[in-house]
Amino acid sequence: MDKRRINGPEISVKPIEKKSTQPKNNKDDGIRKNNRSVDNIRPIFIKPNVIKKANGSAYYEAENIKIICGVYGPRSSKRSMVSDEGTIYCEFKFAPFSCNKRCGYIRNAQEREYSLIIQQAFLPAIRLNLYPKSSIDIYVTVLENDGTTACLAAAITCISIALTDAGIQMYDLVAAASATCIKGNICLDPDASEENDTNSKFMLSYMPSLKQVTHVLCTGKMEAEQSIEAIGICIDACNSIKTVMDHCLINSH
Amino acid sequence: MALISPSEKDFITKGIEADMRNDGRSRIAYRDFTIETGIVSQASGSCRLRLSKTDVLIGVKVEIGDIISNTTSDNNNEQEQDIVNNQNESDKGRIVCSVECSPSASRDFEGKGANDINNELSQIMNRVLNGPQGGIDLKSLCIIPGAQCWIIYVDVLVLDYDGNLLDTIFLATRAALQNTRIPKTEIQDIGNGQLEFDISDDIEDAEKIKGWEDVPVTVSLNKIGQKYIVDATAMEELCTDTKIIIAVNRNGEICAMQKSLYGSLNPSLLTEMIRTAKDIGKVLIKNLDTTLEHEQVMASRANNKKFGFFI
Repeated sequence: MDKRRINGPEISVKPIEKKSTQPKNNKDDGIRKNNRSVDNIRPIFIKPNVIKKANGSAYYEAENIKIICGVYGPRSSKRSMVSDEGTIYCEFKFAPFSCNKRCGYIRNAQEREYSLIIQQAFLPAIRLNLYPKSSIDIYVTVLENDGTTACLAAAITCISIALTDAGIQMYDLVAAASATCIKGNICLDPDASEENDTNSKFMLSYMPSLKQVTHVLCTGKMEAEQSIEAIGICIDACNSIKTVMDHCLINSH
Repeated sequence: MALISPSEKDFITKGIEADMRNDGRSRIAYRDFTIETGIVSQASGSCRLRLSKTDVLIGVKVEIGDIISNTTSDNNNEQEQDIVNNQNESDKGRIVCSVECSPSASRDFEGKGANDINNELSQIMNRVLNGPQGGIDLKSLCIIPGAQCWIIYVDVLVLDYDGNLLDTIFLATRAALQNTRIPKTEIQDIGNGQLEFDISDDIEDAEKIKGWEDVPVTVSLNKIGQKYIVDATAMEELCTDTKIIIAVNRNGEICAMQKSLYGSLNPSLLTEMIRTAKDIGKVLIKNLDTTLEHEQVMASRANNKKFGFFI
């Protein structure tokens, strides 16, 4: 026994835990393995201006999804073609260590496709007529992947903040949400294990203030009415993501 | 890049608003197509489909390949790896699609621009066909679990272009897969748990691909002005700012959906499009199947000659 220290009592009792008072929603019980309800999205943290050299940048984190994005431009287009509208160039890349399996440095077909999707998702949002002869280059790196579709949606949300940080004029912020179908229920923001279990993937990017869908991507069998339901659910999610984005932008300036 | 003048664009847009398109069709009317299957003797299955002037030739080759398990990595087969990454199953075969737009078909397919188009189309095909929504029973393609399987290579060659390329490709793919025959294999146990298989040479023995009936077709809806049209011609596609691609199978289930081009659209319009695509897709598949049946009846007649490329 050490007399110089204050010792604890010899007999200890287990602290009394306060029982969880949160009412359980019966409908959601057991649908998802990770104890989230069907309409629950992982908490999002976004921080703009993380890369000093870039015109605009942002870091996005939602539990195990970590994405960093840099925006360069508007700068003079590398291509000699003169155009009266600006162009967007996007490079989406999974870091070699981000996935279950190591992915190479050269962009594979999926990453090239995602780059194209991101480009298409932002074309309606950016006021490209203000940037003739110039290009806006977007570089996204996924540092940690927990659900590929969710990563794509997260990347789009992250780029929105980075573009705003770069001061590029846009009609509206673009928010994106992902979903999957588990036992006939539309579940938002699926993680990697949920994605492997099911075969349907759904991603929707949306301009919340203008109420315009900028991109939609869906694979897997679904009833027509079910996919319509998924659109509605994703739009609601995008609206709530927008509030996070707004907060982030207000606090950073 | 093909270009269109503002007045032409205006003419087409106003016509569509009045439900009267340049060629006299209504907004949701499809063009007629002609189809011919089994025209390439070296392929396991083939099909040439012409939708007005859009002309697509598909050759399907079935080959024996290794099942790529998660432990092996082969950088040469990156595209195949991607497909496998999504499935993680060692008892399934796979389908590998690639689209090649011939530079002679359109000015858009020249040089570097063709790569993007080819990549986008191939990716859509790979994504739709690999997986339960693709309809094809991938498990039936497996020969020895964990070791070898049939790989179906679907190679698309675009010979001529007059709009609505993706729908044409998918219609032709469905027909080509219907036409494809896979040789029969016999598995023998040679002891120590090792398996060996023989491939039957008899053409009569070759089997159809299981589940080709459930292969979806796509319906591309082009938003022009505030209205949308199906089966756009090349001119109409130049007026389009948003395109929604929806894959539908014969039961009217949505198998895939994707936006393309640079525009955006209202959620309410999107839901309307989904419902329209579902109805049109079902009819389209029915039409295709009756055409294929009719073709088969014609082919079974004794002195029937294939026209091939001479019409």
